[in-house]
Amino acid sequence: MSAYLIRRLLYALPILVGVNVITFLLFFVVNTPDDMARMQLGERHVTQEAIDKWKAERGYDRPLFWNGAASGFEQATDTLFIRSTVRLFTFDFGRSDGGRDIGGDLRQRMGPSLAIAVPVLLLQLVAALGWALVIAWLRGSRLDVASALVCVAMMSVSGLFYIIGGQYLVAKLWRLVPISGYDYGLASIKFLVLPVVIGMLIALGPNVRWYRTIFLEEMGREYVRMARAKGLSDARVLFVHVLRNALIPILTGVVVLLPSLFLGALITEAFFAIPGLGSYTIDALQAQDFAIVRTMVFLGSLLYIVGLLLTDLSYVVADPRVRLQ
Amino acid sequence: MIQGGLVVLASDACLFVLVASALAYWTIARRHEHLRAPWREVWARPAAAGAAVVLGFFIAIALVDSIHFSTRDEAQDDVVSLLDLALESLRTHPETSYSAPFATHAYSRETVRLPDGRVHREYPRLVSGGAHLVAPTERPADIARRAVLGLALGLASGALALLGAACVERRRHGGLAAACRAIVGGRTRRPWRSLLAVGCAIALLLGLGIALAPWYHVLGTDKVGTDVLYQALKSVRTGILIGSLTTFISLPFALALGVAAGYFRGPVDDAVQYLYTTLSSIPGVLLIAAAALLLDVHMSRHADTFDSLAARADLRLLALCGILGITSWTSLCRLLRAETLKLREVEYVAAAQALGVRSPAIIRRHLLPNVMHIVMITTVLDFSGLVLAEAALTYIDIGVDPSMESWGNMINAARLELAREPAVWWSLVAALVFMFVLVLAANVFADAVRDAFDPRLRRVGAESIATLAQETSHR
Amino acid sequence: MNASSVPLLAVDGLRVEFGPAAAPAIAINDLHLTIERGETLVLVGESGSGKSLTALAITRLLPAAARITGGGVWLDGANLFTLPSAAMTKIRGRRIGFIFQEPQVALNPVMRIGDQIAEVMQRHLGLRGAELRTRVTDALRAVGIPEPERRAREYSHQYSGGMKQRAMIAIALAGEPDLLIADEPTTALDVTLQAQILDLLKAEQRRRGMGMLFITHDFGVAWQVADRVAVLKGGRLVETAPRGAFYRAPRDAYSRALFAALPKLERRASYERPLAAPALLEVENLRIEFPIRKGVFRRVVDRVRAVDDVSLAIAEGETLAVVGESGSGKTTMGRGILRLLPLAGGAVRFRGEDLAGLSEAALRRRRRHLQIVFQDSYAAMNPRMLVGDIVAEGMVAQDLGGSRAARAARVRELLEQVGLEPGHAARYPHEFSGGQRQRICIARALAVEPTLIVCDEPTSALDVSVQAQILDLLRDLQQRLGLSFLFITHNLGVVAQLAHRVAVMHRGRIVEQGTVEQVLFAPAHDYTRQLLAAVPKIGAEAT
Repeated sequence: MSAYLIRRLLYALPILVGVNVITFLLFFVVNTPDDMARMQLGERHVTQEAIDKWKAERGYDRPLFWNGAASGFEQATDTLFIRSTVRLFTFDFGRSDGGRDIGGDLRQRMGPSLAIAVPVLLLQLVAALGWALVIAWLRGSRLDVASALVCVAMMSVSGLFYIIGGQYLVAKLWRLVPISGYDYGLASIKFLVLPVVIGMLIALGPNVRWYRTIFLEEMGREYVRMARAKGLSDARVLFVHVLRNALIPILTGVVVLLPSLFLGALITEAFFAIPGLGSYTIDALQAQDFAIVRTMVFLGSLLYIVGLLLTDLSYVVADPRVRLQ
Repeated sequence: MIQGGLVVLASDACLFVLVASALAYWTIARRHEHLRAPWREVWARPAAAGAAVVLGFFIAIALVDSIHFSTRDEAQDDVVSLLDLALESLRTHPETSYSAPFATHAYSRETVRLPDGRVHREYPRLVSGGAHLVAPTERPADIARRAVLGLALGLASGALALLGAACVERRRHGGLAAACRAIVGGRTRRPWRSLLAVGCAIALLLGLGIALAPWYHVLGTDKVGTDVLYQALKSVRTGILIGSLTTFISLPFALALGVAAGYFRGPVDDAVQYLYTTLSSIPGVLLIAAAALLLDVHMSRHADTFDSLAARADLRLLALCGILGITSWTSLCRLLRAETLKLREVEYVAAAQALGVRSPAIIRRHLLPNVMHIVMITTVLDFSGLVLAEAALTYIDIGVDPSMESWGNMINAARLELAREPAVWWSLVAALVFMFVLVLAANVFADAVRDAFDPRLRRVGAESIATLAQETSHR
Repeated sequence: MNASSVPLLAVDGLRVEFGPAAAPAIAINDLHLTIERGETLVLVGESGSGKSLTALAITRLLPAAARITGGGVWLDGANLFTLPSAAMTKIRGRRIGFIFQEPQVALNPVMRIGDQIAEVMQRHLGLRGAELRTRVTDALRAVGIPEPERRAREYSHQYSGGMKQRAMIAIALAGEPDLLIADEPTTALDVTLQAQILDLLKAEQRRRGMGMLFITHDFGVAWQVADRVAVLKGGRLVETAPRGAFYRAPRDAYSRALFAALPKLERRASYERPLAAPALLEVENLRIEFPIRKGVFRRVVDRVRAVDDVSLAIAEGETLAVVGESGSGKTTMGRGILRLLPLAGGAVRFRGEDLAGLSEAALRRRRRHLQIVFQDSYAAMNPRMLVGDIVAEGMVAQDLGGSRAARAARVRELLEQVGLEPGHAARYPHEFSGGQRQRICIARALAVEPTLIVCDEPTSALDVSVQAQILDLLRDLQQRLGLSFLFITHNLGVVAQLAHRVAVMHRGRIVEQGTVEQVLFAPAHDYTRQLLAAVPKIGAEAT
């Protein structure tokens, strides 16, 4: 079991390296540092000196892969690729193209992102599981059919509709909460309620359907018939036997999402002007700040890989067949 | 007006290739029972048949909108599509700014200089919306009259369609009247009732549109005075293209790599797995964002290579499809690999090996046909998600080109105007409703396709007596 | 006393239907059964006869698509069909215990075995705490599970196949039921395990004085456990009779036909192998290994020898049967001989030429001489291909049969040869029954004109009557075409019917080899004797 986990951990390394190569190719090779400098300094009237100065300030003046000017071992290491890789892997994100300290920004903006993402995830899980369980229990009834219709309709509505409609109704017409904005501490709650509820609604439809499928699939299995043949009550069959087996695929599906919570929901944050990492990324995109976007891509991949590892771990915890092998 | 000839944009070509492949698939499917049977099952579902009519309508709009001509009507060169020509009156009579649906006057006051030299602020009459009315008070009566006319037109074509269907069913039900009754009662083998009901609804809406749209801005106008109905209709092509082209672009890679990894295993499998794990570990939105950023830089540096605004927007659309494809092929590839791994252990593959059949023939004859249902299911399931994704991506500026009509752009431009008093809601609502109808139809259709094509689901659903009897009585 | 006048279980006019109410498919029709306390009724029938549905209908556990449309079930005089569903849960598990065919899927994989027994006792006997724990351990001990305290805390995947079935019996008995329903409880097990489980069930039934409804398709098993036998065909009861009378002389024609079709373990008079035929296939010291990978880098730390140093020879026109239990390596060996699996060592000489050393391309040309027929005829044919294309596939690959038209003619001829119609070429495999599908598979193998066919349990998925027809076909083909067979099976009755010589396989090795007469009637090896002893013998009194 531990060998399994260690192997998965070691497998993550080449993937991270691969991600780094891809982002490097995207950000430095497809577009050269000269392009970035021109972008930042203004397209039209920029001198070569200004470009060189901009590059030198950021260390972008080194060769990409091979430094012929350096001596010995440094020929391979004193390059843009190795240097930027090493800095990313040591979590030294440096300064943004606009001159801000990326590491500091990240630390500051993580909080608001989590304040939205964690409640969304938990509420979502409870609501979708509860709904799906009830529907699975009453399978084939009119309620089941109605719920299927509601789910398809909910899936077919654009997420933007929930956000815009919610803001318009709840915040503008009824004036229950502020339309957007953020505050720290307890005062944040009134800003958080609406985005959290909407964040939950957006993914409810597909999740209920997915969980229902899992429940029904489990309910068709032989061990369920066996449990019923033992004379157990319907409730015990559903909540003990079916739920426990169905939780394995459901939980592992959720665990992979956990790390990505840090990154926040791009669109929700932007609409509600929450100063989290999602809106940070969008701001960087609009300002065409390569350093921040590159950092976020790297962090995002890192967190995804952590999510995969956590999924493996959750399999080990949840499923005795994996744990005891 | 049309001075140049036919212009084929890159995305037009792609769309027509797509349609051609769909037609080719249809001719092949007709001849193979194992493909025909699940499709029959899809058509047998009234909801799915109705959804297919809606989808067909949207696709028809997209196709009409994909036949482009070059024009030289104003100062600059540009391209217009067949749809533009059909909607000429909507396209060429813009207002100056916002106006509400069916309005005769602009949304906001403007300063007008009266003949006597005094300056007065008032809601000016619209240039084209309701311009035929002598007095605005005639409006309700005029709208009602035209609407009745339009509805009558729609009803007439609906009745015609019913008659046509009855003619087809005449022989089976013995007489035209009996066939009509059978159709209305929903007792026909083909789901005529739902086909006709949805078709009728579309015909009624079309009739209304034909009767009213040339005289009023049925859905209002936007900030620069463009007709919202025109925008919403033009956006159909963008949505359809993104929904279908994305999967189509990534399909060959997913299929080739997934099946190769599953069949050959060993180093090939390791390489493919590494590739898709790495790619899928980059969060999709960020990858798309990075690519969009790079494309922007690329385009601004090579601005001179694009001969028209449309070509530029078109390239950006294709690039978006491509990058969305890169983020979405990995899951399909994973599914195909897993299925192939299972299939290669199945005994008919072993039997083929024992007969001395070569690997390419085994892949072609035994593996590909047996994984195609996964491709089919993924394609239709992904469609609606991609249409919705376009709106979200466009909102954060990494979607389609701002100059291109799309529901995302409409929402993006309109969402701040909700804050105005009274709220400017029509653009937003129009875009959301159009999107909702297309995505709902796609979802309903996709459900039917999945149920019909997924053999695993069929077993869980267990409708057939044979499988059930087998299941319960074991052996 | 009073109870003796009413039977423990009475099924009266039971009717079960599937499908639309307007045009239902009748699965069980007017079924009457009774079971007394302490009595075992065996319900025998082929697949699809409705025997499992009967068991499910009695406990009202039918799948959603099936419904009871007539009759009733009385337990101790109380009609089960009129009980509210809450009251029915107090009958299941408490009054009626249920054993399913496949413990592998019937046990909850994420619940400890002990807990699965405990929840029955908790619900029906109201046991709690220490007493519950003791009773769970006792229950496991009673069904012969060693170290019950430790085993109670384990999960089903940690149990072996036989232990899983024992655990399921413990669960079924945990509520101290009056009636035990056992639905093919030994079909998924090997013969030696089957004998043990049957003994256990019989012993528990006698000790507790339970009634037992035992469902099986196997007349040998039925003989071992039955007091009375009921034969079911197409949802109708064909006959019910006490065991002795039934086996002496079945009254119904269908029962007699089934009886006649049983492959019996007895000497044959006139089925001699060709004399002094030259050796066709010689296998020498064949080894097939599967690597065991462990540790962080999944290095190969050891190898499982699935086939270990096996040598055998088949002459032209001869049938060599390889018998063994599941996991003995017989299927692996069959595939290894055809080089469908990589070989770790040894030689496979076909007409003197070693196939093990050939390149892929060279091997491909030799493949036409060696063909295979699989157990699962459903999995053995691509569902997306027409039967004609399936049969012709080998001819295309081997460039045989000439033009397209000539090939089509040959396909028609082959289909006739295996007892099908030429027109079947234009149909899909799923349109055929199990026996017909197996005939198509045989035609596909014959299409390349092979000299040796490896038959991997070709009849074990089939009903007895169909099984006999396929065996007849194979024998007929052998005589007409001079084929040799390597016949892999676990059924010793089939061996006696078809084979000239037998090799007994156990844990990857051949422990005994010789003529049918030597091996089956004068076994030399302990394992062979054990195997033979475990085969239920009709007519011999069960121990």
